[in-house]
Amino acid sequence: MRDQRFLFRALTSATVLALALVGCGSGSDNGSKAAPKASKPTGSITFWHFFTDREEKAIQAVVTDFETANPGVKVTVKGGQDDEKMRQAIAAGKGPDVGLSYSTDIVGNFCSTGAWQDLEPLIKRDKVAMDSLLPIVRSYTEYNGKRCSMPMLADTYGLYYNKKMLAAAGYTSPPKTLSEFDAMVVKLTKKNKDGSINVAGFVPMLDFYENSAAHLAPSWNATWLTKDGKSNIGSDPAWKAMLEWQKSLADKIGAKELQKFNAKKGEEFSADNAFQKQKVAMMVDGEYRIAFIKDQAPGVDFGTAPFPVPDDQASRYGAGYVTGNIMGISKGSKNPEAAWALIKYLTVNNDAIIKLANGIKNVPTTHAALASPKLEVDANFKTFIDIFQNPGSQTSPSTGNGAVYQNQFGDFVDKWQRGQVTNLDAGLKTLDDQINKALALGQAP
Amino acid sequence: MTATQLPLTAVTTTPPERRRARTRRSLLLDVAEHSTAIALGVIILAPIVLITLTAFMSSGQTLTSNLWPQSWHLSNFHEVFVKAPFLTWLKNSVMYSVLSTVFMLVSSFPAAYALSRLQWRGRNFVLLAVITMMMLPPQVTVVPIYRMWAALNLTGTLWPLILPNLLGDAFSVFLLRQFLLTIPQEYSDAARVDGASELQIMWRVIIPLAKPAIAATSIFMFFFTWNDYFGPLLYTSDQSQNWTVAVGLASFRSLHHVQWNLVMAATVLVMLPVIVLFFFAQKAFVQGVTLTGVKG
Amino acid sequence: MTLTLTSPPVAAPLRKRRRRQHGTVLLLMGPWILGFLIFFAYPLVATVWYSFTRFDLLSPPSFVGLRNYRYFLFEDPNSWKSLRNTLWFVIFMMPARLISALLIGQLLVKIRRGGSIYRTIFFLPSLAPPVAATIAFAFLFNPGTGAVNALLGRFGIDGPLWLSDPAYAKPVLLALGVWGMGDVMVIFLAALLDVPNDQYEAAGLDGANAVQQFRYITLPNLSPVLLFTAITGVIQTLQYFTQAAVASSLAAGVATTGGGSASSLGYPDGATLTYPLWLYQMGFKNFYLGYACAMGVILLVISLVFTIFLLRRSAAFLGPDAAR
Repeated sequence: MRDQRFLFRALTSATVLALALVGCGSGSDNGSKAAPKASKPTGSITFWHFFTDREEKAIQAVVTDFETANPGVKVTVKGGQDDEKMRQAIAAGKGPDVGLSYSTDIVGNFCSTGAWQDLEPLIKRDKVAMDSLLPIVRSYTEYNGKRCSMPMLADTYGLYYNKKMLAAAGYTSPPKTLSEFDAMVVKLTKKNKDGSINVAGFVPMLDFYENSAAHLAPSWNATWLTKDGKSNIGSDPAWKAMLEWQKSLADKIGAKELQKFNAKKGEEFSADNAFQKQKVAMMVDGEYRIAFIKDQAPGVDFGTAPFPVPDDQASRYGAGYVTGNIMGISKGSKNPEAAWALIKYLTVNNDAIIKLANGIKNVPTTHAALASPKLEVDANFKTFIDIFQNPGSQTSPSTGNGAVYQNQFGDFVDKWQRGQVTNLDAGLKTLDDQINKALALGQAP
Repeated sequence: MTATQLPLTAVTTTPPERRRARTRRSLLLDVAEHSTAIALGVIILAPIVLITLTAFMSSGQTLTSNLWPQSWHLSNFHEVFVKAPFLTWLKNSVMYSVLSTVFMLVSSFPAAYALSRLQWRGRNFVLLAVITMMMLPPQVTVVPIYRMWAALNLTGTLWPLILPNLLGDAFSVFLLRQFLLTIPQEYSDAARVDGASELQIMWRVIIPLAKPAIAATSIFMFFFTWNDYFGPLLYTSDQSQNWTVAVGLASFRSLHHVQWNLVMAATVLVMLPVIVLFFFAQKAFVQGVTLTGVKG
Repeated sequence: MTLTLTSPPVAAPLRKRRRRQHGTVLLLMGPWILGFLIFFAYPLVATVWYSFTRFDLLSPPSFVGLRNYRYFLFEDPNSWKSLRNTLWFVIFMMPARLISALLIGQLLVKIRRGGSIYRTIFFLPSLAPPVAATIAFAFLFNPGTGAVNALLGRFGIDGPLWLSDPAYAKPVLLALGVWGMGDVMVIFLAALLDVPNDQYEAAGLDGANAVQQFRYITLPNLSPVLLFTAITGVIQTLQYFTQAAVASSLAAGVATTGGGSASSLGYPDGATLTYPLWLYQMGFKNFYLGYACAMGVILLVISLVFTIFLLRRSAAFLGPDAAR
């Protein structure tokens, strides 16, 4: 049985080799503690962002300005990237020097794992005035006291409504409370002969474009996490109230027809967006939609407003969801000096910020830019500036494992919308437990 | 390569004459069988026909349930290349497929030769190892392998998918071995008597005889790499300039905000090369089958 | 195709050449041996090691004992769901593919004229790249504009939401799998044509009908091929990823901007969340790589059961020299 002995020997040697390989190849540093002396930024850097098409061009224009202002720096820009791709690339040592993300909830993961470098030493060195930024913006760009990102413009969410359709139904102003809103939605919904929806007053499904739980939560003042970073969804009655409202409104219109309508909708960022095709009278979206409508459907006569609040919280009207685009320097960046120069240019240089804000219709994040007369503000955009500065506005908090808790909530909401959750209280409690356990799985032992 | 591809051994073998049937068959049965086959054929071809028709539609028409193009938009196919870097993705796919196939042959043929035509200790163990590797789901070992390529700074490219083929591909080794077994030993023996070395025998005697097998194995490899989605997605998702058509096509709609007509035009473009290759390669299958007879 | 592990006996006078052959064998097998060590043996061991660690690629793995396995077994809301989904495909899609391939193969054997045209047509879909085929199906089954519901509508049937409905998403993928059964059909066809004709003739003389002939002649003759195809089919289905990933992300169609959206993989309601999909999501989107390795080890155990079964069956084909 020589075969067996050969087999044994081969397997043993393979195992030894493998163990040797497993053992080595670790060891990492978590970024520099003290910043190197300031020097003139030179060389080339890579910059990844998530914008595409028209917005990508606007970003490119500002990056070109940066290159002109800093001769000797060459920026290679790559659009259409998402957080997961960036995180994977950084982990593999192929991350961009500068990354731009659209979701603040990854800050926790990027800061705590060191995927993005600590910016504090550089900020101290260059004496960047952090109080030029709005407090909410400062809070969502750091995690557990560690600042690894800087804010580049913000997104604010509110209600878009089709003025013509509202007028035709006899309304002159957008709704302020949910009871007003519900009545309007039912009246604005137009059905075909076969019962299917022709025009929806509003699509309450929580996977319809930007109509997500996170974007609606501030209207109910619903909180995601407790102070010690555990899930608060099951304990905060606001979530239950929000989900029950969502379901009752869907039932009023016809849940099955809504699902069908939702499955048929045109692609969100294409010209076939249902609001732009005047197939929905009202929807939740970010301020950037103003620019999309101007570009893709200039004929639509629309207005914007904060999302209505529950009737018993009328004083909170005006708040909304705020999130920011954030920038950071990848672990292992070969040219942190030039990377930092680009970040500073895009996040604290008011001229650049205003040019960007005007270009892609995003909300600027510094006091000076918000107050600047150069910022183009019309009535529709003003709504979002106001929501942004409203003290009740909220963002989704950051955790060590990024947006995983939101995905888990999304899965739960998917079940809820399909009527598969019979006991909402128990369901939310179970969800709490699941979120906490997933958070624990990501913790170091 | 995994066990997903199986030899298409009988694509074009001609059925043996069935005298029994010829005399007893009723015309009625004949008609029934043909109508069943035609009905099935229509159902099977319908998706391909429908997406091809959609590829020629205007973007407005794809939102209706009208199946026939009101006007023919050949420009859709051009538009695909304008909207997305499809040409780059095509080049990447070709590179992935061609290099993988060549590398696989260089490394796998000798292994298959040793496993089928030489006697040595441990051969059966190695063969079992080949089969086990062939059966291993790629997801099992994906994390350590990914980490290995990250350490070599090669993630983000297609090399982690191409280079391993230089070190043998289990499925190809297995398939080539099955083919090589059927070449009579007398050919090799005759060459040995003439004093040829093993390598000379492999090069001069066996490779010419195994051409159909090599062709068939290459085609399987080509198909596998062209169709592969998991591999390129894993390694190149953050580097769109290194995507293959499979990855590009999968994200075409959501990333480039395009309408269904363009998605279908791109889909047709991705399907076309494999279908064309198949019609050209039919002959290779026939020869492979007749020479090797690897079947039940 | 069967596993033929026999090899022709070597003539006695040639035995002395063997010694010299060892060098040749090493030369020929060298690359494969390296590949075996680097891409099989090492990663296998490493996967088992990582499965006991917390690992996010950025910092070195840290040992956490059985935490990943505990999470898989008792805490993960999706682990069992993904396993159930994958088993659904093993239990329903794989047999559906085999049965339809067998029936169509049988039909093709019966048809004399034009058989090769049918054969090409039936085989064609299996060539379609999975991503392309899945997109095509997602388009045809689109509840709003797809041809399927348009057709149903003509008969007054209000079609379901297909890939957007948890009850119908998997069946649509099953249909996609059956549509591409051509690869299996071709293998069966080869085997069917190899069944000795005289067996049918004898049975015909004994008055056996078509069903009896199929039951007592065709099936027994085909059983080795059927077994091989079934086992490779199971292992192939355990890896089911592409179609589920593409179909779910198309059906979800959710925006990537802004948080709070359900993750698109597995949409709707996790109905298409297969085991490899969840492994990918946990490992390369959520960066629980240690956990992904634990899932890998569990997948390894499951697929090994089938592989060993296959290898044991293949032992029956081992020739006399295999005992050496």
